[in-house]
Amino acid sequence: MNTELEHQFVTELESNQNIVHKVCSLYTDNREAHNDLFQEIAIQLWKAYPRFRGDSKFSTWMYRVALNTAITLYRKSRKQPHTQDYDSVIYKIRAEEYDPTVEEQLKLMYSAIRQLGDIDKALVFLYLEDRNYSEIAETLGISEVNARVKMNRIKTKLRTILNP
Amino acid sequence: MIDELELLKEDWRKREEHLPRLSYDQIYKMIWKKSSSLVRWIFYISIIEFLLPHLLYLIPSFRDGSSYDIARSLGINQWLIALTAVQYLVALFFILQFYKRYREISALDDARKLMNRIIRTRRTVKNYVIVSLSLILLVFAVFVTGMYLDDNLAASLGVTPGPGRVSPGELKWIMIGVMAAAGIFFTALMGGIYFLLYGLLTRKLFRNYQELKRMEA
Repeated sequence: MNTELEHQFVTELESNQNIVHKVCSLYTDNREAHNDLFQEIAIQLWKAYPRFRGDSKFSTWMYRVALNTAITLYRKSRKQPHTQDYDSVIYKIRAEEYDPTVEEQLKLMYSAIRQLGDIDKALVFLYLEDRNYSEIAETLGISEVNARVKMNRIKTKLRTILNP
Repeated sequence: MIDELELLKEDWRKREEHLPRLSYDQIYKMIWKKSSSLVRWIFYISIIEFLLPHLLYLIPSFRDGSSYDIARSLGINQWLIALTAVQYLVALFFILQFYKRYREISALDDARKLMNRIIRTRRTVKNYVIVSLSLILLVFAVFVTGMYLDDNLAASLGVTPGPGRVSPGELKWIMIGVMAAAGIFFTALMGGIYFLLYGLLTRKLFRNYQELKRMEA
């Protein structure tokens, strides 16, 4: 039993878990599914961990495995309620600095992002996470130019939603 | 006016405080749970699909060799043995290829490569099923041919025509018809089940793969 490796991995994942939670919040719409996807990503990360050589940052490596799991590998394992009871993360309205117009705009944007396809979501996610275009391209397996073109199209689309 | 997307980015960062937080122990427990990934599903279902044509031999008449007795009396025995041998060789070839491709699937690849590898793995099974179903159809065709060439079919099959109005000639055509219909029905049924499973398992995968390919076009 390789307890050293286990410990190392769980510690790393614990401190970087925000990345996984953010992916889950984009790709699922209820708490149960969120946890389910989180678990699958954790399993996939653990399975791939022995081959993580540390030549890239742990977080960079996580983006790739987490998105691959959300887009391709994940299958709902149980029947899940399709209720919209899950709004804790996305539509949270903060009491302080509450600005109705801004809040309304953000709400519109988040719901627009939710309606995007799996691949477009991944692009937006990496953009919001401030990853550069070469990393976005490498994660998805497309060219940097095409990643840029596609992202610009999504941006335009989101802007049209806000300013019809 | 502030750029809306910059606004969104800023909000995205702020939202981090509201994310759920799991403890070390919760995460530790998670990594030992069983994966329910698409790849695992594909693995199990493919194994069943590899075994399915061979399950035919569990049907009593196949196992106790009575179908071989019939085949012998029809004079097509050597053909069936040859076909069975081909069937096993084909299965072996595809299983090895499947295993090789399955091992290449890795969540560490980029999204497009990962999807491509899964699709290739699944395609191996698809080709196997097509070849395998063709072989099954061929077995039925050999039977039908054997029946057609047999001058005294009823006797060969141990059927005694009742005292009814069916002439031996008519009886022969009825038996051939039943055999041919059974062959086509069986193949179509297996094919139908298979392509339904294939479609269900790869629908989402194909959609996303096409999306990525469109970006590169």
